[in-house]
Amino acid sequence: MLIRILLCYIFGYIRVSVEGYYIEKLINICANKKIIIWHVKRDKNVKLYFNVATEDFKEIVKIAKKLKCHVKIEKKKGLPFLLHRYQKRKIFAIVAVLILISIITLSHFIWNIEIKEEDAQELEGIFQDVADAGLTTGKLKSKIDTKEIINKVRLKRQDIAWMGIELKGTNAIVRIVKADSKPEIIDDADYCSIISNKEGIITKINAQNGTANVKVGDTVTYGTTLINGWLEGKYTGLRYVHARGEIEAKVWHTKNIFIPYQSTETRETGKLQNLYSIKFHNFEINLQKRLSKFKIYDTIETEKKFKLFSDLYLPISVKKTTYKELEKEEKTYQPEEAESIGIQQLEKELEEEIEDKSKIVNKHSNTYEKENGIEIYVTYEVLETIGTNEKIVF
Amino acid sequence: MKKNHFRKIDKLLEIPKEVYSNEVKITIVGFEEIIIENYQGILEYEEYFVRIKTHTGIININGYGFNLENLSNDDIKVTGKIEGIEFERLMEDENVN
Repeated sequence: MLIRILLCYIFGYIRVSVEGYYIEKLINICANKKIIIWHVKRDKNVKLYFNVATEDFKEIVKIAKKLKCHVKIEKKKGLPFLLHRYQKRKIFAIVAVLILISIITLSHFIWNIEIKEEDAQELEGIFQDVADAGLTTGKLKSKIDTKEIINKVRLKRQDIAWMGIELKGTNAIVRIVKADSKPEIIDDADYCSIISNKEGIITKINAQNGTANVKVGDTVTYGTTLINGWLEGKYTGLRYVHARGEIEAKVWHTKNIFIPYQSTETRETGKLQNLYSIKFHNFEINLQKRLSKFKIYDTIETEKKFKLFSDLYLPISVKKTTYKELEKEEKTYQPEEAESIGIQQLEKELEEEIEDKSKIVNKHSNTYEKENGIEIYVTYEVLETIGTNEKIVF
Repeated sequence: MKKNHFRKIDKLLEIPKEVYSNEVKITIVGFEEIIIENYQGILEYEEYFVRIKTHTGIININGYGFNLENLSNDDIKVTGKIEGIEFERLMEDENVN
């Protein structure tokens, strides 16, 4: 029953209005003759509305004539009537078919490359490397060999631990896991000595294995040997070992900045101007004049690609160019003012650099006044353990 | 007698009554929908009143805004604001019971 009604929605049905006296009889005859009518509605007048399948409509007219009822077609619904209506609109149909074909053909190409790094770590130049390996926009999906691209990129770059390419619609998602740069591990059995990797003054040295080369209070620079990887005995002679020990040193972290007394600062006024252009792959159409009305401005370009559903990107994009108006402001500082600003800025930078703030021993700053500005040096003394293993090469 | 015999088997097999006999089954869903199975015909149909003939009697439905949603050979669905349902027993039916 319900299926037959549903089929009528596809093969077409007619909403009929019947006006007459023996309306109940019409319904009964329809039921007896197995003509399906549904959504029967009685108007406040003598009119009766109902739906009937197209092929049964002739029967209805016959019955209505017998009962001397007046039949009128209210609406024609269903697929055949819809198609009939669109027969006259040929251009519309052609355009619809063309759009469908173009979308189908465009969906065979790659139109967007998305690079996703784990933990949002930035990899420099990865976009270029991926493109060089053969994954570029506008390439046929079937011609892309993901394995080959991955191999090429991994051969070229050392900082990638894992890489995967997923083709979703017209979107190529490149997933990358960055490899941590590992220090060179020296085997415990190998002979090595410990050398300094920072500049500073030794405050504590404790050689567990090997002979200490420096004393407390010595100044060491980058590369100075701290613990030699050998032991010398009166009777045993020179014996090489794997040096081990703890060395703590006072390390200086120094930063400098030059602050001029007179400076011009640029500031945003908050005025914006948006210009739009439409881009078809590499072909751009400007919708407005490209020149900005501002005298001094910043340009920000954003591109938004059209996409169907979530991953079916199309080679059409809207490019938005935003001009931000800038304002120049002259600023003059007093020497004391400049000094405090500079020291504050440097301290902030240094504190970001130093991991363990409890190890900071001393802070001091130097200022050198010059003609048009002031140069500030800030130094932090931090206690740090230093030293890295270096293999002894014979 | 034979009919009675069959009825006993049907009862044993727990076949619904409306399937093996002409008994009416009336289902009322809320105050706005009524389904009548095993009906014979529509006697009267107005926007505010529906009169349906069945094998055991006549059902009168009062209310307003009545639509006949589904019409088929043996069941009918009436929707609208139902205010009252009345039954008219047939005299011969009483004798049977």
